[in-house]
Amino acid sequence: MLAIENLRVVYHDVISVLNGISLDVNDGEVLIIIGANGAGKTTLLRSVSGMIDFYDGDIIEGDIKMGGVSIKGIDATDIMKRYGVTYVMEDRPVFWYLTIEENLGAASFSRWDKRVKADMEEVFDYFPVLRALKRRRAGYASGGEQQMLSIGMALMTKPKLLLLDEPSLGLAPLITEELFKIIRQLNETGITIVLVEQNAHAALNIGTRGYVVEMGRIVLDGKAQELLENEDVREFYLGSGEKERKSYKEAKRYKRRKRWL
Amino acid sequence: MIDLIQTLGSGVLVGLVYALLGLCIVIIYKASEAFNFAIGEFLVIGSFLFYVLFFDENLPWDKALPLGILIFLLLSFILFFDQNLRLLLALFLGLMAGSIIFYVLFFGLNLPSLIASPILRFLIALPLGLVAAGIVGAIVERLTIKPLLGRSPISMTIVSLGLAFLLRASVQLIFGSHSYSFFLDLPDITLEIGDFLFLSDPIWAGILSIATFGLIIVFLFRTRWGLAIRATSEDQAKAMAFGINARFILLIIWAISSVCIAVAGIMISNFGALSSLSGIVGLRAIPVVLIGGMDSIGGALVGGIIVGMCEAIAGAYIEPMGLIGFKDVAPYILLLIVLFIRPYGLFGTVRIERV
Repeated sequence: MLAIENLRVVYHDVISVLNGISLDVNDGEVLIIIGANGAGKTTLLRSVSGMIDFYDGDIIEGDIKMGGVSIKGIDATDIMKRYGVTYVMEDRPVFWYLTIEENLGAASFSRWDKRVKADMEEVFDYFPVLRALKRRRAGYASGGEQQMLSIGMALMTKPKLLLLDEPSLGLAPLITEELFKIIRQLNETGITIVLVEQNAHAALNIGTRGYVVEMGRIVLDGKAQELLENEDVREFYLGSGEKERKSYKEAKRYKRRKRWL
Repeated sequence: MIDLIQTLGSGVLVGLVYALLGLCIVIIYKASEAFNFAIGEFLVIGSFLFYVLFFDENLPWDKALPLGILIFLLLSFILFFDQNLRLLLALFLGLMAGSIIFYVLFFGLNLPSLIASPILRFLIALPLGLVAAGIVGAIVERLTIKPLLGRSPISMTIVSLGLAFLLRASVQLIFGSHSYSFFLDLPDITLEIGDFLFLSDPIWAGILSIATFGLIIVFLFRTRWGLAIRATSEDQAKAMAFGINARFILLIIWAISSVCIAVAGIMISNFGALSSLSGIVGLRAIPVVLIGGMDSIGGALVGGIIVGMCEAIAGAYIEPMGLIGFKDVAPYILLLIVLFIRPYGLFGTVRIERV
């Protein structure tokens, strides 16, 4: 579905964030991207969704292909309309001063038609919490409700490919669990999902495949289950390894397997 | 007492026009956090566009031709580079627009000879003039504001300051700096009840302003475009991520804003005359929006009425005491007092803080 080839992205002409990243997303899968802070996960999603321009970033090399067609350099709104790629930004991108209903309405702006009301009901069926709050300003909703709303807004755009940027950020573990269950359900309805997460364990549990990003490169990829069992992933991202404790001295990059780099 | 009510009533009528001016500032501020200092110049341009259509003002060819060519170049430029139309199509559309502009400016629209009834003439010329004002606003936005999208709002504010000078000079260059008599000849609806007397012109101004204000509110709060505008106003990045074209929304906002300013400008010119210096009235929008709150639409209405009443009272009661010109200062004194008590203005947004 989506293929990223050797992508390099530079912010403000000087800060190189992605240094030749390549990955592909198959139809109907849940792809997990994990990596430390500043590894370039968010930048990757911004490039795919066409938002990179807005943040003064440039794609200086490589290509992004959606079903074989290059979508590099197309406007964010066009990418969404033509290719059905919806990007849910990190930190709960809801409009605080609009009511929850208006939020959903605003999200369906790009495809306004008769079915909007029905779709809104569908979103409320996914997230019954929102139905009760629909006349309330989104800014007053709790973090979990806001995150559900932002995923609901993404659904209003009728995505084929959903890019989720750290949906679990700042949420309680129980709510995170519920959220991931919903993400799984969405996937079963046929939406392909790319999930960027810090919460690697929970994410890999619902994912089909995973990539590990470091310093703007893919350093490891494989089936989600394999990654969960991978010793290095367990050590660096899941917080448990074969040895119970490791000193930070050993956690340095050059200690890891050579084939990664 | 009768005196006071009379004064306040007239103040409210003028205040409604100020409220409309305030609204123009507020919607731009909400959308891009930039303060549009060029409001006075937009006011003059809008009024002159209407003037040309309504009074059949002709320009000599040495002014009309460059203007037509300018419009042709600008429009082709925008259509080709911004809207990505084909070069020939862009040139063709630009040429069409340019020649229409040239024709209207050079030969005039001849509305007075075609339509005798002034009210009908007004009803035809007003929408045309407003559309023209909207297009001017849109062109200005495309050329100056759009390249700054995503940058600091301060830069947009500074650009609007520069625009003010550029536009004022252009208007002087084209229309000269003398006054044009401006008499709309609207039906006389002077209100005389008991001891009260409200003149026809301010009443028309009040009615048209409140009607425009109402239309904008309906547009913003009852249509999907309005919803998109409000969403974009809150956060451009989020809006873009959900498929709202923030750049186009900004264009619409500038167009709407310049249409409102044109309505206010026509009404204000109708009180007296129109000249390139009428733009000074635009400054009255500053106390209006600061008193009402920079990001509150209702605040613009209340602020406008307050400023109008304040001016009327100062004009009727304080100026006769020998303080000539106090009328122009009074709103600013009121502004200072309001800012001491409520720094965000009377209706400035209460920031949502989640606990």
